[in-house]
Amino acid sequence: MGSEPLTFAINHRTTLRYSGPVTASYNEVRMHPRHRGGQRVLTFTLASQPAAVPRSRVDFYGNVVHRIDVAAPHDLLELTTQSVVSTGQPRRRRLERWDPGALQRDPNVEFALPSPRVPLGDSTATLLSEWAGDDRSFDALVELARRIPTEFTYTSGVTTVDSSIDDLLDAGAGVCQDFAHLFCALARGAGWPARYVSGYLGPKPEETEVVGESHAWAEVCGQDGRWVGLDPTHGVLIGGSHVRLAVGRDYGDVAPHRGLYFGEAGGAPPEVSVRVTRMSLQEAAAAHRLGPMERQQQQQQ
Amino acid sequence: MLPDAADECLGADGSPREPYQRLFTTLAEGEHARLRDIQHAASGWFADRGVTFGAPAPVDGGAPIFPFDPVPRIIGAAEWRQLERGLAQRAVALDHFVADCYGAQRALRNGVVPASLVYSSTGYLRDVVGAAPPRSTWCHVSGIDVVRVGGEFMVLEDNVRVPSGIAYALTSRAAMQDIVPEWLSGAGVRAITDYPSRLLDILQRIAPRPWVADIAVLTPGSFNAAYYEHGLLADGLGATLVEGRDLWVHDDEVYRREADGGYQHVDVIYSRVNSEWIDPLVFRADSMLGAPGVIEAWRRGNVALANAPGTGVADDKAIYPYVPEMIRYYLGEQPLLGNVPTYDLTDPVQRRHVVAGIDRIVFKPVDASGGYGIHFGRLMSSSEREEMVARVVADPRAWLAQEEVRLSRAVCLGEKGGFEARCVDLRPFVLLDEQPWIVPGGLTRVAGSPEMLVVNSSQGGGSKDTWVLNH
Repeated sequence: MGSEPLTFAINHRTTLRYSGPVTASYNEVRMHPRHRGGQRVLTFTLASQPAAVPRSRVDFYGNVVHRIDVAAPHDLLELTTQSVVSTGQPRRRRLERWDPGALQRDPNVEFALPSPRVPLGDSTATLLSEWAGDDRSFDALVELARRIPTEFTYTSGVTTVDSSIDDLLDAGAGVCQDFAHLFCALARGAGWPARYVSGYLGPKPEETEVVGESHAWAEVCGQDGRWVGLDPTHGVLIGGSHVRLAVGRDYGDVAPHRGLYFGEAGGAPPEVSVRVTRMSLQEAAAAHRLGPMERQQQQQQ
Repeated sequence: MLPDAADECLGADGSPREPYQRLFTTLAEGEHARLRDIQHAASGWFADRGVTFGAPAPVDGGAPIFPFDPVPRIIGAAEWRQLERGLAQRAVALDHFVADCYGAQRALRNGVVPASLVYSSTGYLRDVVGAAPPRSTWCHVSGIDVVRVGGEFMVLEDNVRVPSGIAYALTSRAAMQDIVPEWLSGAGVRAITDYPSRLLDILQRIAPRPWVADIAVLTPGSFNAAYYEHGLLADGLGATLVEGRDLWVHDDEVYRREADGGYQHVDVIYSRVNSEWIDPLVFRADSMLGAPGVIEAWRRGNVALANAPGTGVADDKAIYPYVPEMIRYYLGEQPLLGNVPTYDLTDPVQRRHVVAGIDRIVFKPVDASGGYGIHFGRLMSSSEREEMVARVVADPRAWLAQEEVRLSRAVCLGEKGGFEARCVDLRPFVLLDEQPWIVPGGLTRVAGSPEMLVVNSSQGGGSKDTWVLNH
């Protein structure tokens, strides 16, 4: 019952404009799409302006992290990634609930605990019992994901990147990050391991390109250790248009850019622009048509 | 009710216990009058050397002198050997646990320590997972607080982040050596002066370039309560005392800025800054005490850190009840030192037990130190008890419940010149490389008054010189 695997070309640009020159900056970037769980990264490049040589590592959650240090004075830092990604067949299976004893001894118990941006407080516990009663089944989770966008309005500018779940509940409106945090809180409150996913959403079927921002949703884990994605912004299970970038307990673990700088200048919120283009079969095949060395390069994370 | 406190110095019949006999005879022969002089001389000695506890007071510029009691605490050779074995065993098990948390997580998968406690610990640092510190050692320095309950030593708390206090032990000893050398030689007291050189050996062995290692002692700065100690250790190690702003990371190598504007490569950082603060790029972004990039430099083996980052997971108070199990699991040995009976409040069964016997319980916040936030069930009114139970039920992970124990008392010089008994504990220091080494003695802390039941330097207590005898 999975959807068609799709291939996307993604261009993701982040611009940091400082109010004056900074003497040095140190940056951690989580912008490499995941090469796991059926999704394949066919090509990836990361460029920075001013130029720097990125070094990479894989973090605790299996995300690729690039480090970019700029040691010379600069007042602007621009990070651009270009990637071609095949999303594979997203799993849309019904999951079995965990036996609580088994979960206690499994590393995935981490995702059933509160985390800095997903505290399990009274407000979400009340909401869970209002919406789901005593039902803790996978179907109940799907129903929660369907219900969130009907109860809350998707509006940019009401919340910020630092907003809490309670801010969303108070305002009645927010963006995908807030919806994903809320869903994680409800699912964890119901005893399920739930993690936060950052990524991109491809264009609608009738379009070939979408320009905008990055997206966020959630995944829950069943007793067999498999993860299934749910998108509480659109009230659906994830499909072939969802490109996964990084996973973690909450936004704090997956922030696409984290950095600091030295100097007197003030910072400004990063300007982000994302363009996702669906590739035709021919274009996708061309992206696949790589020499043996390029293929080996691809296989390395 | 609680049994009477054990007495460090006197036996049941009121005569001095064996290790104290010689000292008490000396005091009875007239030296007793010298105690006040020793205290004055020692205070002056400390003041001259700037031995203080607490941040310098901004107004008069003087920080409080660390209160020093001139009657030493004495531990006999046989008893020390036993304690030493227990401490070594515990330090090794804690080190295994830290390595396991950041490696294969065997103990979590086998249910020895609940995985949820580790994952919810603020000391568990995900950016450290998978790292391989040199010589596979994480907890190079630990301070394991013990108390004597009845006749036996028990562990009250494990400190494996940045345990402090060794400088006070070294300085107290130097003062005694200066003022009453004949007391020390007469009793046959083991020397502790080689602590800095033992620590230096370890720091050199973990250095990427051992033969020319440049060692820096990283201090939070002069407003830190233990700043005096950081300077004293830097001197003793022949190392440079630095703050985070003196460090600079370039291409995953750590440098320190020198006075002449140059840069010197750093091979080893003996860090007295908590690891959560050491690298604002990966941990606390608001930290001004570290330098961005230090953690990646450490992961790549370009700089060694002691203690290794992330050891805080082992001194989370909520992990403490599981240490005896860790010893059995990792070492296949029975614990030689017991825990004070402690309950994991996240376990509903243990929590019910605590609530039922609340008048015997002491509640401690898991993330506080310095003796702050401690509540004695015995001293609470019924409404305070209800409130305490409600707090524990609302956030069981935030609290630790321990049976109240009576700490042993030792003879101290009172305000008016007479003797009085005050509660004491002991913080021995364990250095860990391939084999553990324990400084013979450590820091004996004394309660601030004869009535006080909590022993902590942050709360007006003082210290004694701690003697371990040769025979």
